[in-house]
Amino acid sequence: MGIINDLWLGLQEFGQFLPIIMMFIGVIIGIMVGVLPGLSPSIGVALMLPVTFGLDPMSALVLLVSVYLSSNYGGSITAIAINTPGTPGAVATTFDGYELTKQGKPLYALITSLTASTIGGLVGTIILILFSVPLASLALSFESYEYFALGVFGLTIISSLAGKSPLKGFISSGIGLLLITIGFDTQLPFSRFSIGIPDLADGITFIPALIGLFALGEIFYSIEKGDNKKVEKAAKVDLSKTLPVKQLLKLKTLMLKSSVIGTLVGCIPGAGGTIATFIAYDNAKSSSKHPEKFGKGSLEGVAAPEAANNGSVGGALVPLLTLGIPGSASTAVLIGALMIHKLNPGPELFDKEAGLVYGIFISLFFANIFMFFVGLMGNKLWIKIIAAPKSLLYPIILALSFIGSYFIQNSVFDVGICIAFGIMGWLLKRGDFPTAPVILGLILGKMIEENLRLSLIKGDWIDFFTRPGSLIIIILALVSFFMPYIKKKLMKKGK
Amino acid sequence: MNLKNIIAGIVVIFYLGLLGYLYLGIGQGTTYPAKPISIIVHSKPGSAIDYMARKVAEIARKYSEVAFVVENRSGTQGLVAMQHVLDMKADGYTLLGVTKSFLSTVMVNKSKVSLDDFQFIANMVLDPEALISNKERKFTSLSDIIQDANRSEITQVWIGPGTGRRDHLMALKSWETLGIDAKWIDYKSGPQSILALLRDESAVYVGNPADIKGKTDLEIISIASDKRLVSLPDIPTFKEQGYDLNESMWRGFAFKKGVPEEAVEYVTKVLQDVVSDDEWEDYCNETYVFSNFENHEEFTRRIVQETAETNHYLNKAGLLVLYVKDSPIPILLVLLIIVVGIFLLLFAFNRFSIRKFNYDLIIAGGIISLSLFFYYQTILFQIPETVNITSPALIPRIWIFTLLLLSVILIVKSKNEGTVHANYSPKTVLIIIAFLLVYLVAMQWIGYFFTTPVFILSIMYILKYRKFSLMTINAFGFVLFSYFVFNKLLHIDLPLGWWFI
Repeated sequence: MGIINDLWLGLQEFGQFLPIIMMFIGVIIGIMVGVLPGLSPSIGVALMLPVTFGLDPMSALVLLVSVYLSSNYGGSITAIAINTPGTPGAVATTFDGYELTKQGKPLYALITSLTASTIGGLVGTIILILFSVPLASLALSFESYEYFALGVFGLTIISSLAGKSPLKGFISSGIGLLLITIGFDTQLPFSRFSIGIPDLADGITFIPALIGLFALGEIFYSIEKGDNKKVEKAAKVDLSKTLPVKQLLKLKTLMLKSSVIGTLVGCIPGAGGTIATFIAYDNAKSSSKHPEKFGKGSLEGVAAPEAANNGSVGGALVPLLTLGIPGSASTAVLIGALMIHKLNPGPELFDKEAGLVYGIFISLFFANIFMFFVGLMGNKLWIKIIAAPKSLLYPIILALSFIGSYFIQNSVFDVGICIAFGIMGWLLKRGDFPTAPVILGLILGKMIEENLRLSLIKGDWIDFFTRPGSLIIIILALVSFFMPYIKKKLMKKGK
Repeated sequence: MNLKNIIAGIVVIFYLGLLGYLYLGIGQGTTYPAKPISIIVHSKPGSAIDYMARKVAEIARKYSEVAFVVENRSGTQGLVAMQHVLDMKADGYTLLGVTKSFLSTVMVNKSKVSLDDFQFIANMVLDPEALISNKERKFTSLSDIIQDANRSEITQVWIGPGTGRRDHLMALKSWETLGIDAKWIDYKSGPQSILALLRDESAVYVGNPADIKGKTDLEIISIASDKRLVSLPDIPTFKEQGYDLNESMWRGFAFKKGVPEEAVEYVTKVLQDVVSDDEWEDYCNETYVFSNFENHEEFTRRIVQETAETNHYLNKAGLLVLYVKDSPIPILLVLLIIVVGIFLLLFAFNRFSIRKFNYDLIIAGGIISLSLFFYYQTILFQIPETVNITSPALIPRIWIFTLLLLSVILIVKSKNEGTVHANYSPKTVLIIIAFLLVYLVAMQWIGYFFTTPVFILSIMYILKYRKFSLMTINAFGFVLFSYFVFNKLLHIDLPLGWWFI
């Protein structure tokens, strides 16, 4: 068997002192990068890139890949603990994760997210090893029509995110969609809606907006409500059971399914893990026996997006290694790293450097397992932080949000964006408008517009319905959009 | 004295030590160079210019007393990086990595930043533009492309990332030189363009030789340089096939104008040494570029000439027109008028009773104002009729109309539902927002390390926390922690403040 041979080769390459040490360091730094708001996986990988110049290719790539992998997990910790997604991929984790924290069960959420992340990462790695060639053709078959359809599909998820008032959910997403049109036009070299402000010419930077909307918005909201003390009490956590094995076992099919969703969406270049988390969340909700618990502290709502998020890591490596195309911001940096180490990503790489490629796969495997144990140890620390008085914690979160927004582009204007979105998040929350749809709008708006217009240049409206790929996704979108309403109707009838 | 007080004391001592360490060294040393020289790069780590800058920094260690440190500041196609260099002192410690793409960037964006603000120190490499095809097409030479363009009933498609950028201009130049008509489709990013080429969606992708690295399905048809690349000896040039077209992306370095002469001399000397190093030759061969050192005079001459040329082609392609009309009245006044108008209407809708204003109504009013403001701006768009694309106003208008519709529904609904009352007072939140803004401004001037503890202490005080020792540990401990994590572990320099540097 070729694969077993290659894996053995990879194990030999990986199983040396330096790569293993780099994996340990990478996992720990990655978790930290994930935890710090503003430092997304791609920034983490970019920050570590210069460090790898002096290393051999194997150790360098192991370090970067470990950072990439574990930062995707790290983002969920702050999402659960303080409603601040440390990375864009952890937005969907806040919905139920933070709810659980408010109910005094942060440990459950943290362990579920850790387990789901680990399983997601492992499943993603296995799929990457076994199916990278057929998946590469999936990635290749995605044209602008399918991207557009996927964007629309993503938008329909709002109907299941909206909570009490769908109308308010749609308004929120509209705000996101409209604001993301600020900046360069997708076909002509001019900046729209930037009202003469040079810093706005490139549009709204996503991560400061995300931090503002979630971290600042939540802090402002809860300070106004004056519920510091209540949360403090709730944070007295039930620490007796450290591993809720039974509950986790119940989630196994969901985790596997979500991991596969994450890997599949992750391997589509430019779609990315964040969209995968929303799709997995939506899917978990619509297939759950208790959809009413979603948004109110459902463990399923934590497990699904986290499994998808870490599954997307393996997926994102598919187009990178097989086609030489970076599928996400993080893998764009990885491609730079490969080049710098004189390796050419693409079909040749598997032939010429099988040991290296399979060494990376093996390292992903061990990194996942190591991440699990580091995560378990870390949980004790996070719980302490959650239990700290809010009046000590809030100033720190504010300061961290500040640095986080600032360092993405060393831009003071971005910090302004963060504050502005914080105020917006607060105002929306006061009126019971959900904030997650704003983020969904910001993520999907560009993808929808760019690909719609590109498709119309290449062809016609009708192409969206004659191409099997886009047609299937559009049908999925319609189903996902109307599902909650149909279910409601059916439930009423049943009663 | 209890334990907490002792810990607080230790934390403060460490904090003062850190301040001393960070600030006492500043301003010492008078002979250039006294501290590391930063190279500002306009794109993310791993990009072509970033790699070159890092290679230069690496080789320069052999020849320079101080280190060269690469710093990435991406955004707006390089304008962010250029602006940053102009914001810094012209003291010779901030070098800008420049590429040919900057010529069209400043023109197309009609930016305030001008290339005249810079002193171009040295050009380092020439990266020839290349025409790349899918092997399926079986093109072997330029004449195959010409034949295909003349034969096919549908217009030949050329693709690449960006409109009005280098690759697009190369396409325009090639069509002129080869005497063909083709259509340019902008695929936004390099990866998406290459994916499209792998699917064989287009005849030609315009890029650079390094783009095909590792991609066995693609091949380079020709490069636009006067000689062949050492590491790609089989790829012919335009010239060999009888077409006089020379188009290369150059990459080099520039200072802000007004840098002391000794700094310019020093850096030029180091760069010259780098170029004559063997490692540099390896780098050039491995990334498929020509090593091409040009000093200040030669480099400046090149830029003047190419600026005129770029201007010519951008004009010809109709890309230098104004896409947005000027608003007849100041744009912010328009916003004000809309907001006032909408809220007066809502006021009337509620029969002039301020009490009937509930929160949903205010939000809806705000969203309607925002939408109308955006709509007003779409009216100002003017797209030349020659350009065959869907209107840039289309998608924004779809979102605008959706938002307007939903907001009206919200208003109607909220009237039936009565007033939603908020019991809480936003006073504390507003104070905190004010503090955030002060912190933001102060951090730029007096730096992160002085402002942060003050900010954290004040917010804790506002939130009515009064345990002094824990407050001290929290505020100063956080600064120490963030210094360790950001500066030491992640190599991000926290700002020291404009006053001190």
